[in-house]
Amino acid sequence: MKNLVPLSFRVNGEQQDLLIRPWHTLLEVLREHLGLTGTKRSCQEGQCGSCTVLIDGTPVNSCLYLAVEAQDRDILTIEGLGRGDGGLHPIQRAFVEKGAVQCGFCTPGLILATKSLLDENPTPSEDEIRNAIVGHLCRCTGYFQIVEAIRDAASELAAEGKR
Amino acid sequence: MSYHLRLPKFEYVPAATAAEACNLLAANPGEARLLAGGTDLILQLRRREIRPRYVIGLKGVAELAYVREQAEGGVTIGGMTTIHTLLTSPLLRGKFEILAQTAAGIGSPEIRHLATLGGNLAGALPCADFPSALITLGAKVKLQCRQGERLVPVEDFFAGCGQTVASPSEILTEIQLPPQPSLSGGVYLKFHDRHSMDMTTTGVGAFVICNDERRTIRDVRIALASSAPVPMRAKNAEAALRGRSFGEDALEEAASLACAEADPRTSWRATRDFRMELLKTLTKRAIQGAWQKAVSSPEGKNREKSRAPLFPG
Repeated sequence: MKNLVPLSFRVNGEQQDLLIRPWHTLLEVLREHLGLTGTKRSCQEGQCGSCTVLIDGTPVNSCLYLAVEAQDRDILTIEGLGRGDGGLHPIQRAFVEKGAVQCGFCTPGLILATKSLLDENPTPSEDEIRNAIVGHLCRCTGYFQIVEAIRDAASELAAEGKR
Repeated sequence: MSYHLRLPKFEYVPAATAAEACNLLAANPGEARLLAGGTDLILQLRRREIRPRYVIGLKGVAELAYVREQAEGGVTIGGMTTIHTLLTSPLLRGKFEILAQTAAGIGSPEIRHLATLGGNLAGALPCADFPSALITLGAKVKLQCRQGERLVPVEDFFAGCGQTVASPSEILTEIQLPPQPSLSGGVYLKFHDRHSMDMTTTGVGAFVICNDERRTIRDVRIALASSAPVPMRAKNAEAALRGRSFGEDALEEAASLACAEADPRTSWRATRDFRMELLKTLTKRAIQGAWQKAVSSPEGKNREKSRAPLFPG
């Protein structure tokens, strides 16, 4: 049995060439090989959304994805979203300003789900926002502030686009 | 259920084509499992319900990811087509809208980007939604192995909970949707606790064809999810509706017959009695919804005038 297999992929714009175990998930490789602990491990069965990352722009549960299948793919984690020098992405800023972050455990997944939503649909309705985040559990906020933050982020990004 | 953090050890073998996957399955009888989207298989691995020596990865089999229009109005769907693609495909509108509607009710965007139609069928869970929706359309699955291909109607594909009639060397490569007549439409309805993400407690699909005057039910198919060990057709309910005027009496009778045919189990999710109540209500609503779609659907140009039932047996 081959215990180590090569994996070459891009994470947050950086090429990574690793040797990994084929039964390790993308979540495990991101956290344990690359130290990117912003991607959270929680339910491990695709129920909670806290491990969400973007693979080639689409959101997936990294706990359900074998790392070896990320060969040649482009991964975005929460660490790759900010804008240089520790600056926050408008979605991150909106989450902070609207009080959508309490314990913060669900936040990286929700912010990446929001990025994927707004990339596809820059002006979502409230229903579309709620449908986009059904796969994310938050035990602190009751979701109201999160939905508000997503709406704010949408307007901010739209305004940025016009400037 | 024991809970393990890591997946058990296995060797990962990627396939690039369906033929290659068939060869890999044939070369390792009983030791290999196919990994499509992984939303079920990864969980089964984590729970040690399965311990394959080889995991054959299908994500690179691009030739099995498609939704294609066929001559005469049928549609074929590749086994590796994701639920997200079904939700967004322009070909799954009108008569096939039941599939886009079923897709919308499954999981989250994250799950829908991973999970595949082939996986939803081959997993053969009684609570899966697509089997029932596909049965109402008279769909077939294509199974491929090294020796060749065969077609199996979806309603005959399931052999038990988690079991199908496919042999261990076969791969589900395609789902075929036959053309549907004009004045028809289908609806799939389900009850689930969270209104998203969770497994289906009870589901009902109905596809109705109305007669030219749009007053009587010319033909109907009803299929039930989580109502027996395998997805099932409610044939007695269908027979009671065929040729009948649409109305409250017909709905009541069909719902009672569907309940009598079903054999739902009691589980932590719901009791048998509760599932029967759900079945009754959902059957009525699904037939009513399908009827509304059928009577409001546009008339085809070359539609046949026959009044005979279209779905044998």
